[in-house]
Amino acid sequence: MLELKNLTKKFGDFTAVNSINLNIGKGYLYGFLGPNGAGKTTTIKMIAGLYSLNGGSIKLNEIDVINDPLKAKMKIGYIPDNPFLYDKLTGREFLYFSGGLFNLPKSFLKNKIDELVELLKIKDWLDKRTEEYSQGMRQRITIASAFLHDPELIVIDEPMVGLDPQSAHIIKQVLKQKAEENRIVFMSTHSLNVVEEICNHVGIINNGNIIFNDSIAELEKLKSDKNHNLEQLFIELTNEEL
Amino acid sequence: MSQLIHILKYKFIAFFKTSARFSLVSFLKELASLVVYGGFAVGAFYFSKSLIAYLLVTAKIGMFLLHEFIATGLFIFFLSINAGNIIVSFSTLYKSDEVYYLLTKPVNPAKIFLIKFLDNFFYSSSTMMMFLLALLAGYSVYFNISPYLILIIFLFDLIPFMVSAGSLGVIILLLLIKLASRIGVRPVFYILAGLYLSSIILFFNIISPAQLVADVMKYYPNVNQYFGDLVPGIIKYLPNHWLSESLYWISSGKIEDSILYIFYQIILSLFLFSLALFAGYKWYHKTWLLVLDLRNRKKKIMRFQKSNLNFSNGKYFKPAHDSIFKKDLFTFLREPAQVIHIAVLAFLIIVFVVSLKGIYLKGMYNSYIKTIIYLVIQLFNLLLITTLSLRFVFPLISLEGKSFWKIKSAPISNNNYMWIRLLPWIIIILFTAEILGILTVYKFSYELAVFSGVITFFISTAIIMMNFGMGALYANYKEKNPIRIASSQGASLTFLLCVLFMLFVVVVQLIPINQLFYMQYRNISQSNIQFYYMSFLIALVSVIISVLFFFIAKRSLNKDF
Repeated sequence: MLELKNLTKKFGDFTAVNSINLNIGKGYLYGFLGPNGAGKTTTIKMIAGLYSLNGGSIKLNEIDVINDPLKAKMKIGYIPDNPFLYDKLTGREFLYFSGGLFNLPKSFLKNKIDELVELLKIKDWLDKRTEEYSQGMRQRITIASAFLHDPELIVIDEPMVGLDPQSAHIIKQVLKQKAEENRIVFMSTHSLNVVEEICNHVGIINNGNIIFNDSIAELEKLKSDKNHNLEQLFIELTNEEL
Repeated sequence: MSQLIHILKYKFIAFFKTSARFSLVSFLKELASLVVYGGFAVGAFYFSKSLIAYLLVTAKIGMFLLHEFIATGLFIFFLSINAGNIIVSFSTLYKSDEVYYLLTKPVNPAKIFLIKFLDNFFYSSSTMMMFLLALLAGYSVYFNISPYLILIIFLFDLIPFMVSAGSLGVIILLLLIKLASRIGVRPVFYILAGLYLSSIILFFNIISPAQLVADVMKYYPNVNQYFGDLVPGIIKYLPNHWLSESLYWISSGKIEDSILYIFYQIILSLFLFSLALFAGYKWYHKTWLLVLDLRNRKKKIMRFQKSNLNFSNGKYFKPAHDSIFKKDLFTFLREPAQVIHIAVLAFLIIVFVVSLKGIYLKGMYNSYIKTIIYLVIQLFNLLLITTLSLRFVFPLISLEGKSFWKIKSAPISNNNYMWIRLLPWIIIILFTAEILGILTVYKFSYELAVFSGVITFFISTAIIMMNFGMGALYANYKEKNPIRIASSQGASLTFLLCVLFMLFVVVVQLIPINQLFYMQYRNISQSNIQFYYMSFLIALVSVIISVLFFFIAKRSLNKDF
């Protein structure tokens, strides 16, 4: 269970995340929606340990992410929106490097890399330097690096940006599979159709506040009550003009 | 022309907007920079004044020799600006995102060349200019030269001297790129290194400072007269000589004799600057495309298949330590700028150590000159250590770049991470420092070599930690080029801090070392207690600096990423 309690982040006078509360259980594929600048990436970076908090707490299976960061990070797989890699390393080297950071033994890593290479279809590119990779390949290598230690929580920021249909399809399948394996997948995205297609729970954040947090079924119900499609509903909820 | 002004205007706006963004931390940083820069300028001013007084009054070398030493220093300075401009110009002219942007717009590449040339010249030479101005002020005050004349020397003698060095650097760069596209990058690098090395060797062979000192000293005590005939003819055509000659005549009160040298200086700088612009107009765009082509050629990957260095092998260290160490090693070895620079520095160090073997010191000179030689050698050693640290330790954190998210989101503590990153460099630099500290000093006395070995350990550790801490404090994750990181504002500030620390080390040693040489010269036995106190003081300050900067680094790593 991932618990965000009164989570707050300020940048000077600007409150990016305003005392939000979320409880996300095992098996959730949680779509985290919101307009640009709403606080999605800030929330994700706090969960991943890249940002400090100005208030509140984050707990993953009772482990306090802020007070016990190393223990928590062992259980988190983070995939950023812009997957910068060490461009002088090959994909394979980057995967060994990433696994090493989680203190995984070489023999375990070798098998795990083989397994992920197959799953994400990255074999042909694995021994080339990552500076030669396309956006889709970078994304796939980053995802593989986040799965090496079998994390209980996968935090993924805008996974579909700049991907070709083949890469997008692979990533959607993999995320669904992880949720079915009872992992928590916390995914921020702008792609409403992706949320409808693969997520089982949805949260919408606007101006740092959570304005919707429920199952996909409830979202569908709201849509039909208002006779809107998801795009229209999203714009209405976030007070954007059509 | 209006387009050029338009671009420059927005560059200024962007620069001042960035600098003007107010926050307490940035304000404190700027204030600290101001204090250090100001302190350093004042220090350089007094240093130059006192050194001239020491050389003329205590060591009695005379006006002519003083200016010949200045000319020698200026030669090295010319080569440094020249080489610095080649290196930094390569980044600004060929690797900058701004150039990519401007080339997609209807802007003539020659204009881009001019903008980036000016950008690069002021970026890489501004600290040097400030340093030289402070030295010049000390020189002028000693010789009681009017402020108007200082301004004239600065604007019409010193700046043209630097423009010549910078322009020549850019011309050489354009030629090198054209050559590299035909014969490859590696041979071009060897040619360049060979050229610089032979010009240094040739200069010192022709001028032969030791011979010049001996020739002038034959006329002692009448050493203040002009001995221009002793200077080899070819040297008289070099801009460093023109600058030192004009200073000589101005400080001797014969301003009219300096005018010709200032005129030469201006003409040469105008000629080289025009030539650089012409070369840029003709070749910049072509060479830009050539560089793109060179960069896209297939890269070979070193794999160390069966070695423990391969990522898939290795059983001696914890996986996290092993990973970070190998990541550092591979990214270092696959970045040509890193490998080339460490090779050049290693070569320079070997040349320095070997060349000092020729110095015979035992029982020679008076104690003052021996003290100066000892302290100059030590300063040079520390300067090499500072250069190594600034070039390779300062950029360590910045070079993680935007990929740092991987380590920041991994279960590894900052303490652990910092030690893994630092340890290889601590070992390499301390080892180099000890070799320098002992080998360059043992000719004075064996006791002094032991003493030097001990304090070198502490001083070098402090310099390394200072560079690491400041590198973390001024981390710039957007800059991928280690050379630009090592010549950024934070790096300049770090360099000044290191120089201040070096001056402290020199000042603390001055009296005990002089006394030691004096006692040796007079064959008087002595107590070592002063040496113990001095070593303790240096060690204590070094430890305080090391701990302080370690914590600065740690704190900086806790910032949001």
